[in-house]
Amino acid sequence: MKHKVLKTALYVVLALVGVITVFPFVWMVLSSFKTNGEIQSIVQTLLPQEPTVDNYMNLQQTFDFLRYFMNSIFIAVAVTVLVIYTSCLCGYVLGKYQFKGKNIIFGFVMMTMMVPWSVTIIPRYTMFMEAGLQDTYISLILPVMVSGFGIFMMKQNMESIPDELIEAARMDGSNEFQTFHKLVLPLCKNGISAIAIFQFLWVWEDYLWPYLMIDSEGKQLLAVGLTLFNGRYSTDYGGLFAATTISILPVIIVYVIFQKRFVAGVAAGAVKG
Amino acid sequence: MKRFFSFCLALVLVLSLAGCSGGGNGSGTSQGVQDTQADKGLEIMGDNVTYDPNHLVNDGAPITIDWWVWATEDMFRSIAEAYQEIHPNVTINVINNPWDGFFTKLPLALQRDEEGPTLFNIHNSYEHLLLNYIEPYDISTDDLIADYPSASTHLMDGNIYYMDYGLSTGMFYYNKDLWAEAGLTDDDIPKTWDEFIEVAQKLTKFDENGNMIQAGYNYNNYFNSTVIGLNYQFGDNLFSADGKESLVDGDGMKDAASFLIDLYEKYHVGDKDFGTNYDQSFYQGQSAMVFAWGFFVGNLATNAPDINYGTFEIPTQDGKTPYAYYRYNGESTPGINKNATDAQKEVAQDFIRFFLASDDVQIKLSQDGGLIPAKSSLMEAPELKDTPIVKTVGPHIDRYIWPGAMPSTVENNLKIAGEDILYNGKDADDALKTAADTIDIDLANADFTSSESLYAYYEE
Repeated sequence: MKHKVLKTALYVVLALVGVITVFPFVWMVLSSFKTNGEIQSIVQTLLPQEPTVDNYMNLQQTFDFLRYFMNSIFIAVAVTVLVIYTSCLCGYVLGKYQFKGKNIIFGFVMMTMMVPWSVTIIPRYTMFMEAGLQDTYISLILPVMVSGFGIFMMKQNMESIPDELIEAARMDGSNEFQTFHKLVLPLCKNGISAIAIFQFLWVWEDYLWPYLMIDSEGKQLLAVGLTLFNGRYSTDYGGLFAATTISILPVIIVYVIFQKRFVAGVAAGAVKG
Repeated sequence: MKRFFSFCLALVLVLSLAGCSGGGNGSGTSQGVQDTQADKGLEIMGDNVTYDPNHLVNDGAPITIDWWVWATEDMFRSIAEAYQEIHPNVTINVINNPWDGFFTKLPLALQRDEEGPTLFNIHNSYEHLLLNYIEPYDISTDDLIADYPSASTHLMDGNIYYMDYGLSTGMFYYNKDLWAEAGLTDDDIPKTWDEFIEVAQKLTKFDENGNMIQAGYNYNNYFNSTVIGLNYQFGDNLFSADGKESLVDGDGMKDAASFLIDLYEKYHVGDKDFGTNYDQSFYQGQSAMVFAWGFFVGNLATNAPDINYGTFEIPTQDGKTPYAYYRYNGESTPGINKNATDAQKEVAQDFIRFFLASDDVQIKLSQDGGLIPAKSSLMEAPELKDTPIVKTVGPHIDRYIWPGAMPSTVENNLKIAGEDILYNGKDADDALKTAADTIDIDLANADFTSSESLYAYYEE
């Protein structure tokens, strides 16, 4: 009985926390169907009193929303795919190969995670300027295509794969390339899912670096475009909410695709197999 | 998993085509056509600063320059297009940037020679970040000042690097419906602060429990912007005679701050807790009067189109012409990147001359921006003379002071001081002293000198 009460109480608390967490998101989505006057009204209602889709219809007027959206999709997918591959590759080497200095290399990888990005942004900016990479997508992809976090996660994942399986593949004549691509990668679905979600989200919401590197409006990303709603004197909240509502759809889709394996992937990365 | 990766790679390829195709036009790409016709049969524009369109720029060869702006992209693009019509060999890419971060990115971009923007919009509070990269205008400063009197405040080493195309300042906005409800007419528009307090009290309403339900005047979240400039009416400039130190803790500012606080605490025409923002309270019809700058006209059109409002000039102590009514600030003309190529700079200089000489351009800028035209001959232009700001403030604009390209530290620290006084119970003198100390350190680092001494009535 006592256990049941505790369980019920726990569910109630979790439900409350869930509602508190989701409420701002729901409010934003519903407010995207309100006029700016209603959004800023002192008398607030959750549901729009005079629903309007003007905020959505006018999105293209503030900036080329569709182009920015597609640009962001491209960069986010490209970076995510590259990070998954490089993380798996490095994780496999560090997790399954024995060689001198392995732990030192892994230590260096871990150290990269502990350096705040704000410390590296100035030298990184100078380097990319010198290399003539301003206003190119390479400048957005290159600095993040190898991730310390991804390597750490995948090393942990790789260590959970039994050595016997890999040995068996080798004995069956599989070369290292085949072993990695046909055996090891399919066994790391959970870890890959976790990295995919994290990496996609980080790239999707990244603002400062794309803003600094990309000049052409036609190449700009959505996170930068969203700030165009925030003017010097006022903010077009209706437009901002509508654009944000659409902009989070890809993140939700990525999460839905990978969510089943997400928890298992994070858990596997947290413990040594 | 293999299929998944194949799908992802295919998606990347497809999206790369979508994402990379038809991108923006970099400054290296020229879309213009060869211009061979120097004499276009067009009239010469302008009064003192003149522009003769009948010539070739860049010898008529196609050339592209970038012009970085924040906001009102369409307005600036239409000006660029008007210029391109005269000079079809020139392409001006107007590139819109977010206000947030604009002045972080711009100084970096200006170091990139011809790859950076050739033209860029300036906000004078960031002048100190940009001056090293600006080419002076190749136009006689006497001509510039003759057409644009406020240009005299932008003279540096005998050159003008940028100046104002429009002026803005603060004025009172009042809700005409609430005004009529309180039995007030146009004759009650206050000329003095005493009259202001009187009408504000009539416009303030309380419920049976003594709770305020309508504020006569609301400056919540706008204390700092309001008080900076009010000091002129209370006997002090904002900066010392050498222009290097602030007088934020001087008697003038103390009296101005006390006056604003008294409006709430002594005369009860508003309340620090009556809404967090003056503007939203006005949008909702809960505050009858607010003080705001010219931009508020546009904000009202966007956020509260149904509010029936009027404007009046800031009152004075005795209804007579004061030393200065208040401060003004200018919207700045574009800067020219001194690191651009000679060809790009030639085009930019020609464009700036067109920009300043064309009345059509200047009228559009003031109309769309809710500004007083800095070109004095346009004050009576039919398109502008009835706009709220020109009608309200225009006749006395010479009695408003530009304190100089004041770094944002002044507003930021007075915001903190205002919040400390109103919400944290800090003594006003202490709060202003703290603000002054911080501001002076920042001003020294920014090598700032006030332009107050250039004010025509400075010696009064």
